[in-house]
Amino acid sequence: MMNPEADNGRNRDELVQRLELMESMIAEGRRSTARFGWIFVLWGVIDIGGMVWQEAKPDFRWTWPIVILAGFAIQYAIIIGLRRWTWRQFCGNSMQTRSISAVWSMMGVTVLLYVAAAILGHGAGHIALAAAVLMFVGMAHATSALILRWPAQGAVAVLWWAGGMALYFLSWKYFEAIFVGEMVFGMILFGLYAMWLDSRSGSKGARA
Amino acid sequence: MTTSEMDNGTTRDELLQRVALMEAMIAEGRKSTARYGWIFVMWGLIYFVAMGWAVFLPFKEWAWPVCVTVGVVVGMVRTRRRADGSSESQRSRTIEAVWQAMCVAIILYVIAAGVSGHGNQAAYYAAVFFFVGLAHGISARILGWGVQGLVAFLFWGCGTAMFFVQTRNQILAVFLAAAFFGMICFGLYAMMLERQRAAAQVQRQVQHYA
Repeated sequence: MMNPEADNGRNRDELVQRLELMESMIAEGRRSTARFGWIFVLWGVIDIGGMVWQEAKPDFRWTWPIVILAGFAIQYAIIIGLRRWTWRQFCGNSMQTRSISAVWSMMGVTVLLYVAAAILGHGAGHIALAAAVLMFVGMAHATSALILRWPAQGAVAVLWWAGGMALYFLSWKYFEAIFVGEMVFGMILFGLYAMWLDSRSGSKGARA
Repeated sequence: MTTSEMDNGTTRDELLQRVALMEAMIAEGRKSTARYGWIFVMWGLIYFVAMGWAVFLPFKEWAWPVCVTVGVVVGMVRTRRRADGSSESQRSRTIEAVWQAMCVAIILYVIAAGVSGHGNQAAYYAAVFFFVGLAHGISARILGWGVQGLVAFLFWGCGTAMFFVQTRNQILAVFLAAAFFGMICFGLYAMMLERQRAAAQVQRQVQHYA
């Protein structure tokens, strides 16, 4: 192009600025997920705890609603605590961050409604229920991975989906093993990886 | 604050520009959903056709695989054609990511359930509604669009109903209601918004040149 002015009237600098803004938004979103890596670890531990409780009291129908509500309570208590300490650094507020927050909050609402409906409607024994919950979490990871263009999170999504599909072909007998595997690899280890990334970017920032 | 400089060094003008950019991005994302309103209508109609075939026509086991494949192919072809030349904002790409992830998740889930022979459980039917509800819920939250939020609740409600309905006819009725209100009506509403927006744009251009 001979003329620096683009066809639609926008000059090159403006386009470069826009691209930089988008790239910084994606980077901010990824940093934000890394900053919230502890939530994945928390939920991995809480869910494994729920599984142990269910094993101990298999007839109690409200194990999971109680575990999930307790998980939310702990999560929000920690968030409130962290906000008091480091509000500015803690909570990025870019569009990307808000999108990721929308993905995970809606995933939480969906799983909560779905499991509650299944318990009330006596569908808790269906293998399709367990498979769907794993698929919902996989979908949230996949959406985040697509938004943030983060292959590591994409791999986690594939892991969750593979677990959900495997449940259909194996039986309830293997549910505990798959569930614990998902929690360890898809939640705790991914969360620790995200926390490691966050601490690395934090120390780089401090050095700069 | 007496000075135009904020505490962290950002000027008021800069903040206003950022807010304006974000508002423009939200509007663009909503327009993008409205632009793809036809997809909701198409899928609503595909549900009707597939259910009609499964109830009234022979080879009923082929009804859903054939209709869904046709829907996916038509959707991909038309989306690709429309995407050529259309500008994309960050927000519309985010919305696309939500629906792409939903499509992959639902296809994997349905195939696994069908192949393993678990496609008749109430939790399976309910999950299909909850997948769609989840995608609508995320989009509604990102776009701040109340109408789409209502559609999410409609799908979640239909998913919940699946655990309580008893007969095949009741399951069909819930499916048809979700397809009609959540897909066709919402899609038509989105298309109407897109038309109004296009008409307003033309009017602005006419006024500009007049």
